[in-house]
Amino acid sequence: MENGLSTERTDTIKFSGKSGEYFKLWFVNMFLSIITLGIYSAWAKVRNTQYMYGHTNVDDNSFRFLATPMQILKGRIVAVIIFILYMVLSQINPAIGLVMALGFLVAMPWLIIQGLKFTMRMTAYRNVRFSFEGTYGGVIVHFLLLPILGTITLYLAMPWVVQQIQQYINNNLTYGGKHFEQKSSAGQYYIAALFSLGIALIGGAVIAAFGGTAIASAQAGPSIALVVVGIAAFALFGIVNAVYQSIIYNHLMKTLEIEEVVSFDANMKTLPFAGLVLSNILLLVITLGLAIPVVKIRTARYIASVTEVTIKPGIDDLINTIEGSDSAFGEEAAGLFDTDLSIA
Amino acid sequence: MQSTITGTYQLAGRSEAHPASAIVYETGQIVIQHIGGDKITDCWPDNYQFSDVIPGLAVDLVLEDGALFVPDDKSFRWPQLSSNNLLAEWLESHWLVVFSSVLIVPLFMWSMVNYVLPGAAHAAVAFLPDSIADSMGEQTLYILDKTQLDPTELSLDQQQKVTEIWQKITTQLDLPEDQFKLHFRKFDMGANAMALPDGSIIVTDDIVDLMADDPDALLAVLLHEIGHIEHQHSLKMIAQTTATTMLFAMMFGDIEGAGELILGAGTGLLQSAFSRDMEREADEFAHHNLPQFDISPVAFADAMTLLISSHTLDNKGKKDSAEDEFMSTLNHWLQYLSTHPDTQERIDSARNAEEENNAL
Repeated sequence: MENGLSTERTDTIKFSGKSGEYFKLWFVNMFLSIITLGIYSAWAKVRNTQYMYGHTNVDDNSFRFLATPMQILKGRIVAVIIFILYMVLSQINPAIGLVMALGFLVAMPWLIIQGLKFTMRMTAYRNVRFSFEGTYGGVIVHFLLLPILGTITLYLAMPWVVQQIQQYINNNLTYGGKHFEQKSSAGQYYIAALFSLGIALIGGAVIAAFGGTAIASAQAGPSIALVVVGIAAFALFGIVNAVYQSIIYNHLMKTLEIEEVVSFDANMKTLPFAGLVLSNILLLVITLGLAIPVVKIRTARYIASVTEVTIKPGIDDLINTIEGSDSAFGEEAAGLFDTDLSIA
Repeated sequence: MQSTITGTYQLAGRSEAHPASAIVYETGQIVIQHIGGDKITDCWPDNYQFSDVIPGLAVDLVLEDGALFVPDDKSFRWPQLSSNNLLAEWLESHWLVVFSSVLIVPLFMWSMVNYVLPGAAHAAVAFLPDSIADSMGEQTLYILDKTQLDPTELSLDQQQKVTEIWQKITTQLDLPEDQFKLHFRKFDMGANAMALPDGSIIVTDDIVDLMADDPDALLAVLLHEIGHIEHQHSLKMIAQTTATTMLFAMMFGDIEGAGELILGAGTGLLQSAFSRDMEREADEFAHHNLPQFDISPVAFADAMTLLISSHTLDNKGKKDSAEDEFMSTLNHWLQYLSTHPDTQERIDSARNAEEENNAL
């Protein structure tokens, strides 16, 4: 085995997608979707995902998105038919609409599972597929009961709840039949929450104080001072967000592994990430959303560059355990009814 | 002629992989061998496929059992790829395609919204059974009675006068009595009349009072409402709204960010546009039928004038020309948000209908 590993290999993720190239792909696919009344959107989804996956490279191997457009189109058609039925029936008879809405509530955890499952099973690395093995009960506990608990404790338990949810998702991910293990600690979530809250409060107070005096004593009229205050508040928002995200992301990566197969490390830094997030928002606002593909490329490139993957010898012996004939209905229905989750 | 490509041979269903080379023959045969020269497998066009061709990515050779050969050169394109396989990538890598689509999309949307959708919705409504309209009408009246409408406070005498006008219409237009029904209700929001899908027409106490001295105007209003029913406007509205929402969801649903905004604002604006078209259609129905009762279409203009005066009674007064001009510009743009055409426009078109009648 020429390609076999005897020792571990560690390297950052390489992302080779280019903004201009992806913008053209994204835009042309959007155009084709519109003029085919959405039918091409199944192909568009596959090609967009294939581009992002294919340009994500770990240890000289790219990820592959294996869903076929027909698979997605079928799931989408069934979901759309149900959606139309729901709209028409609830217009004609509100009672039927109510019953359907209740049925949908009951089906929601199942849709969440099917959605995650489909996305993961259609993702392959070195010809071995990922999967998600969450259960109906587990999803109810983590996506319904825990958030309620987080709210009724006046958000005191919320960092723990968020940790439990992310841990639940990641612990149920598998690759080649082997479970990912996430050993995160709620303490880090509390640190991240308190740290970012502290910065928000101090920064907010400073801006309010300086802004107040600046506006009161402004010679050039209050508008310039207002602009300065606005920019400062915008930057503060970016920094607070980046503080939280970088602490959590680094912690999650450091505590995630598949034994004998792979482990992760991340070194996301607050200021560069804040710069990325803020410039992305500006780009989106200035271009009225047309910069979405550029934003996706910039974000993927940055995340890849701060994430280290350690490949271990066990990776050479993995066997694929997943067939690829899943239905895309759950995923598509979840998307249509806005309940889809994306995995960080 | 044959060419050799280096790459990686990825076993089927497992993570094991080896550096390898692929020899492509003109016949379509492809032989995969270890770098040293030992043959791994060979295959013919019948038992291999290619992965999708994506800009900037290598195209994988996919063997029958699921094994892959991934070329090292990301720009390499297999000679066996058909132009169909390559079309999407070609479209996706030319700015010209991007720029031409910027022009085509608005044109396409415009024709869909103006011609295709209304046509389809109208055709679909013809297939709906009457029972749907009946149950919708009953439910709407029930909900209105529970929420916004109260029992009428008109005297029997007043009701009798309106009923006489109503009967004159139903007899003249030969409308089936079991379908077209007149209801009197008290409504806090002022003078109004409305048509429900099943053929029920509601007149509010205020409009009866308002037009007590001008029965021709009331007759014009009733004709307008009958126009809504004859043209099945309620059902068409629902069909059109559903069709547009679905169309927009299908076209833009998959586009992040833009989706919700276009869906919300776009369907709202279109719904108002549909509604304005329907009001015009109902107006025309009234103009067209008024002469049968020896009444001029101007009666409809009178009704509009009366309604306007009753609704602006509270906020008349201060006016200067700058404010006036601003208001008229504002009104011009607000029109796109309104469910009814500009009232002045409706009055003018009633007068025009009168002139046309005189010309005949």
